[in-house]
Amino acid sequence: MGQIRATWNKTIMEFLRQKTVLFWTIGWPIIWVLLGSFSFTSNIPNDIVGYTKGAISISMMVFALMTAGMANLPGNIAQDRERGLLTKIMSMPVSPWRDFTGRLLALLAFSSLSAMLVIAVGFICGARFFFTEIEFGMSIAFILLIFLGSSGIGMLIGTFVKHVHGAIMSGVGLTVVSAALSGVMTPYQYLPSVLQSFARIYPISSANSSITYLLVGEEFAGYNPLGASQVAATVLVALLLFTLGLIAYSKLCWKKE
Amino acid sequence: MQAIQSYAVFAENVTKKYEKQEVLREVNLKIGRGEFYALMGPNGSGKTTLASILASVKSPDSGKIMIFGEKPEDAKKITGYVPQENFSSPILSGKENLMYFAELLGYSKKEAADIVQELLNKVGLLEDADKRVSQYSGGMRKRLEVATILFPGLKLLILDEPTTGLDPSARRRFLGLIQELRNEKTTILLITHIGADADLASRVGLIDRGVIIAEDQPEKLKKNSGLENVVNIETSFKNEQVSSLLSKFSEKMKVLETETGYKVFTENVEKVTPRIVRSLDQIGCKVTKIETTQPSLEDVFFKLTERKVREVD
Repeated sequence: MGQIRATWNKTIMEFLRQKTVLFWTIGWPIIWVLLGSFSFTSNIPNDIVGYTKGAISISMMVFALMTAGMANLPGNIAQDRERGLLTKIMSMPVSPWRDFTGRLLALLAFSSLSAMLVIAVGFICGARFFFTEIEFGMSIAFILLIFLGSSGIGMLIGTFVKHVHGAIMSGVGLTVVSAALSGVMTPYQYLPSVLQSFARIYPISSANSSITYLLVGEEFAGYNPLGASQVAATVLVALLLFTLGLIAYSKLCWKKE
Repeated sequence: MQAIQSYAVFAENVTKKYEKQEVLREVNLKIGRGEFYALMGPNGSGKTTLASILASVKSPDSGKIMIFGEKPEDAKKITGYVPQENFSSPILSGKENLMYFAELLGYSKKEAADIVQELLNKVGLLEDADKRVSQYSGGMRKRLEVATILFPGLKLLILDEPTTGLDPSARRRFLGLIQELRNEKTTILLITHIGADADLASRVGLIDRGVIIAEDQPEKLKKNSGLENVVNIETSFKNEQVSSLLSKFSEKMKVLETETGYKVFTENVEKVTPRIVRSLDQIGCKVTKIETTQPSLEDVFFKLTERKVREVD
């Protein structure tokens, strides 16, 4: 437990003290929630404006989770490798699994904080949601899938992109591009059919659609993402990405040359 | 013959290749318990690779290694390694960094807090414990990183080029800390390319191109090298004529070219020095600085490898 707690403490402090991490993970999505809530909803009928703001807030919450997993995590891994910390801890009786667990728990805590802040700002701006307790529980499960998928991609980037700036830029790039192409930042209905197919396979966007469907309704999700095969695909691909990331990190980052 | 278990470090026929380049070639190294051993060599000589193999960060291609009678991976709990890089987290305080390492080593929060306080005191950072490492000087940061190997129970300390990049006063303070460790009878392996640092050790190994070419006490290495004294000369220019003129003042015709002038090795410094100045003056070469020194470990290294200073810079 000590090693997990040590890595958790170190990683969470590093996330919370880096201004760029705070800005891109929390500040940037909040800016878009504010812009979306006050600039892009002026022509929307009053009876659905709250739910539109809700859908925008969900998308930005997902964007925050993506940035945390796909940019902050690889940045943190690459930073530790570049400054020789991984070399140092490899010389100590430290288990890679405990290091990984500590890192991931810290990321989970930071991602949850980011998500809650983004949603809170959305709520203050007038975002409204409609859900039952079960739907809320299911939404949390989909948030966890987004976390697993994003951190899996993040671990892959952190393992294969050796330098800090390269890892962060790759993560940010992939976050922005995949969010734009998969319907996280663009309404699903407006995507061309090839990208709609991608949106259904990419677990992060399909989980985003699921949460939107559960909390604000199908018209905002663009389709029903809760079919059995769709949910199974979302779970499987998210777990696959996470497993691949985990294997790459533990086998390659900790590999003795 | 001593038993392997009686050595702090026992390495036999260790080889390591990176792709096709052989970095270590059948290296043999034996360091006694409580000994302060310095491994000295230029960049690319294989010393960092050897250190990281002993620290169980890298694996050898072949050879046998034992740390206090155990395989390096089983000896992690008694081996402390400070790599060359500044590995401490700059956005955490000195205290937070050490707490991280203490908890990694399995100390409870309470135990860790007590030990960290002690270590910060030992390395002279108690007053700056709560400052972020980004506000530390290079010397302070290095002392903090050395503190990570001062936790109780560590018997072998491996320090890889710890004084590189430190200013003279930080370096002096740092070496003072190493001397204190030496007094505590801990086994120390210091990796360095600086002769003056290696001079502090009880035994020095000179490594070149993956081979330990000489090994002895620093004074003995110097004495046995045949290098008695060195006249260091800085000249207004350097050329073949100056070089061959200077070689006449060395009994063994031994002259090394340096960045700013030459080193002349001679047994008769007092006689030779004024004659060198006169002779150089006669050919129009001004002597801008001249001083005599005892041979350094660097000189011994160059003598043994027959290489010029600029070749290894």
